[in-house]
Amino acid sequence: MAFEITLPRLGWDMVEGALASWLKQDGEFVRAGELLFSVEGDKAIQEIEALDSGYLRILPNGPQPGGEKVPVGTLLGYLVPQEQLASFRFPGGDLSDSPKQEAEAIELAEPALVTSQEQAGAPSGDGRTRRIYISPYARRLAEGLGVDWQMIKGSGRAGRIMAKDVEAIAILPKPEAPIAAPSSIQPTPPVQPVMPASALQPAFSAARTVMSPIRRKIAEHMAKSAHTTAPVTLTSEVDATELVTLRKTLKDDAASSGQAVPSYNDLLAKLTAQALLEHPLANARIEGEEIVQLATVNIAIAVDTDRGLIVPVLRDVQTKTLRQLAQESAALIEKTRSGTVSYEELQGATFTITNLGMFEIDAFTPIIDLPQCAILGAGRIMPKQVVVDAGAGRVEIRQMMFLSLTFDHRLIDGAQAARFLQRVKKFVEYPYLWLVG
Amino acid sequence: MYNEEEHDLALTKEQLVSLLGKMLLIRSCEEQVVKIYARGEIPGGVHTYIGQEAVATGVCAHLRLDDAVFSTHRGHGHALAKGMKPERLIAEVMGKATGCCGGRGGSMHLFEPSVGFYGTSGIVGPSILFASGAAYASKLANADRVGVAFFGDGASNNGAFHEGINMATAWGLPVIYVCENNLYATEVPFAMISKSPSIACRAQAYGLPGVDVDGNDVLAVYQAAGEAVTRARAGNGPTLIACRTYRVRAHSEGMRDTGYRTQEEVESWKVRDPILLFKTRLLGQGVIAQAEIDELEAEIRKTAEAAADFARRSPLPDPATVSDYLYS
Amino acid sequence: MREMTFTEAAREGLAEEMARDPMIFVVGEGIGARGGNFNTTVGLYNLYGEWRLRDTPISENGFTGICTGAAVLGARPVVDFMFLDFELDALGGIINQMSRLRWMSNGQVKVPIVLRGGVGVASTGPHHSSNLFSLFMHLPGLRVVLPVFPADAKGLLKTSIRSDDPVIFLEHKKLMNLKGEVPEGEHLLPFGQASVVRSGKDLTIVAISYMVIETLKAATLLEKDGVSVEVIDPRTLAPLDISTILESVSKTHRLLIVDEDFSPGGAGAEIAAQLMEQGFYELDAPVRRLNGAFVPGPYSPPLEAAVVPNAQTIAKAAHDLLVE
Repeated sequence: MAFEITLPRLGWDMVEGALASWLKQDGEFVRAGELLFSVEGDKAIQEIEALDSGYLRILPNGPQPGGEKVPVGTLLGYLVPQEQLASFRFPGGDLSDSPKQEAEAIELAEPALVTSQEQAGAPSGDGRTRRIYISPYARRLAEGLGVDWQMIKGSGRAGRIMAKDVEAIAILPKPEAPIAAPSSIQPTPPVQPVMPASALQPAFSAARTVMSPIRRKIAEHMAKSAHTTAPVTLTSEVDATELVTLRKTLKDDAASSGQAVPSYNDLLAKLTAQALLEHPLANARIEGEEIVQLATVNIAIAVDTDRGLIVPVLRDVQTKTLRQLAQESAALIEKTRSGTVSYEELQGATFTITNLGMFEIDAFTPIIDLPQCAILGAGRIMPKQVVVDAGAGRVEIRQMMFLSLTFDHRLIDGAQAARFLQRVKKFVEYPYLWLVG
Repeated sequence: MYNEEEHDLALTKEQLVSLLGKMLLIRSCEEQVVKIYARGEIPGGVHTYIGQEAVATGVCAHLRLDDAVFSTHRGHGHALAKGMKPERLIAEVMGKATGCCGGRGGSMHLFEPSVGFYGTSGIVGPSILFASGAAYASKLANADRVGVAFFGDGASNNGAFHEGINMATAWGLPVIYVCENNLYATEVPFAMISKSPSIACRAQAYGLPGVDVDGNDVLAVYQAAGEAVTRARAGNGPTLIACRTYRVRAHSEGMRDTGYRTQEEVESWKVRDPILLFKTRLLGQGVIAQAEIDELEAEIRKTAEAAADFARRSPLPDPATVSDYLYS
Repeated sequence: MREMTFTEAAREGLAEEMARDPMIFVVGEGIGARGGNFNTTVGLYNLYGEWRLRDTPISENGFTGICTGAAVLGARPVVDFMFLDFELDALGGIINQMSRLRWMSNGQVKVPIVLRGGVGVASTGPHHSSNLFSLFMHLPGLRVVLPVFPADAKGLLKTSIRSDDPVIFLEHKKLMNLKGEVPEGEHLLPFGQASVVRSGKDLTIVAISYMVIETLKAATLLEKDGVSVEVIDPRTLAPLDISTILESVSKTHRLLIVDEDFSPGGAGAEIAAQLMEQGFYELDAPVRRLNGAFVPGPYSPPLEAAVVPNAQTIAKAAHDLLVE
């Protein structure tokens, strides 16, 4: 069998090289160890010795000296032992058919994966702009207990919600499986809490619904107000007879039929705005360490809708006529009830009026709508017997109404608030005083 | 120092032919490895033993299967001389599953405990310590097994050499240290990194016999090794045998072999090729005829080619086994 | 049950094993007639003589290599380095050879060897205070064993000697005179079995080596504040019993790891990573680590106090973890 001469590998990472020149002639006898050919490797030309003895037969259509680079292992020629010389033939036809040319490719195995790592599921965002931090265990616990953890205030570092925060507001679980989590939250293995035998029986079988965004927002807002302000409510029973007459007159005016008739809320808004001009402290807010005096009076009117309490805002009330206010408020209330009121229309109030008179409420303790510092509550107007002249012992039937003013004692003192309410009372009882502007 | 005149060895023709045959086997297998490497079929590097065959052969001729041999990065010759089958060697070097270590180690991490071959090593020096340890275990077990360490001139400057030989001599361990001084540690000449006149003379510092031997004379090696093994088995402690020899190829296959030695030097050692020298002596003394040599060579060459062929046809290891055998 | 020190218990284990198997021998500086710097082999030289209690020159790399060779050929050496710091000289052989021989020989060769060394800061200064647990934990092929209590020292040393794997057996200097109960009769402990040393429900603390003792003191302090701590002693870091730790954290939901060895890259980092991977949904707070300061071991007592965690600093770390 003739010995193959192939392009050698000179160095670990050499994959190709060029035949530089033959150092023996075709047909010449070569002894093993003699220099046979030279190769141009990566660095320089290297002379290669013959590994066997035989007569050199250079491959006719093999790589030419000085030619292009070829892969390591490429056949260059043969060294043919004497006894085979006569019968030696180059492998015919396609060299790639030659079994010797099937150089086994060394396949480097894919690095075996020797460790596997579980991918920790990341909770997806729920679309809220505020980032809520909750520990994995607390979240699992919340889902197992059926608690909406997004409303929980966390007591951990950086406001992180911890297991004890969840436990503190959890309702005891029903025996059945907890409600399905909203699809925006990644499923995590829910904690099946182990309740001690002495725990209260799950006797509440009331129906459950998830709080709507509005309800959540209101809840948050109310709680914040209750925890932040120092609310004090003053009540005063006022004689609204003149106000009632005013309204009736406006309503009965045939010439202005078809136009908006100022409601009691509109009247109260206008006269309150006037009173605020004289008592600006009630038209202010606390921001950090500062008291900000607001330059205009925007009065929010609380409106009851079937989606809950919504408060559209009448702007720059001090500059508007009653007629204008009547139109604006009618439009706002319509939009509010139909759900088309815009975000902007709900912003920027500096004072709020809330009227529960239609529900036969007299006095109450309205909650301040932060960042405002006061809120005026109006009760029902009803005829009462009133002493109009104590000396003469004269009693009349007058239209009486309670006003309830809650103010933030952080900002306003009792006497200041009382004086403001007194002025409002005056304006209710003597409308001409504010109608004049 | 042994020379020709003292070749009065009572060796039979059979023994002499066995020595020749072993050297030829090593040479043939290494030639196969060179070719396979040149074809690009060896994933890593190899350091061939061509030119140093007399040392492994002369030493291992005295060893039993249960004697332990530890070798270095240039260890194919020791592996084959100790009895590893050629196909196990070549398959391992090609990274195949049928190699002695399932392809895990390659050339520098060959193991064949069944024939007492406890490993080549990619780090030089430890073979000295391990062979000493094997000897220690033999004493603990009250056995007469010996340990043999093969290493090069480079390792003789490693701490392992000094610490190991010191302790083995202090404790009288049955170990033989065989240093193959082929004049270069990779490409650094011994004289450049040591002022010791020779390696053998270092033995004096540690109190054991140190012997200088012509490493290309298989019978000289055989003689020195025989004495050392006898001493060790008799409980008389270790010996350091320093063999002067030469590798005619580059430090590792594919490396350029120029710049640190001259072609004249290489040629001068080629004419002292251990196989050539031994063949000439055997022929000259009428121990064997040329035809017998030719026949022996042809047979051995066939064995080597068959082993290479087996290795080429063998499969690569299954990646799923990569974590096997990490712990007991 | 009998009470004895850590050293006595370990020695009893060694003596029992040496009586059982004649191929076990001990190697080290001064472990022969002198009985070892830390009394690890007192009395054994008279029983077994120099071939089994071999005094060595100061050649750590050398005698470790010799013992590796002996182990390959059927012996079971115990190499007693006295201080882990000295063992570092042999690190090349430990990593390149000892830890790899079984694997690279495709299972044909084994290295049943035990490497003992004293660890920890104990007014011993920068060259005699190394811990370096994670270094060894990181290497495939090695077992890493660090008992705390005398019974564990005996049980784990016996198992280490009988194991066919190379074992790094680390003994904290401050534990050597620790007294504890040791059972009569054959007592073996498996690798990879952590011990819940104290039960609790508010917080899990995994403590390594001597830190178990300081953590137990911290747990008593915390109890006064109504905090219930579960203390786990892993006993072996390779293999690591992560299941016991996971089970504990499923109960307490908070984990603190206390390790005298410094971080970054301490054993606690690995434990924390595994907990995060396998027990993410049990965690109510991040896993916290309390390590020795990132400096070499100091000599003077006030410096040592500043470097090494103690009961007070552990209790504080536990408190901080509970409220965060």
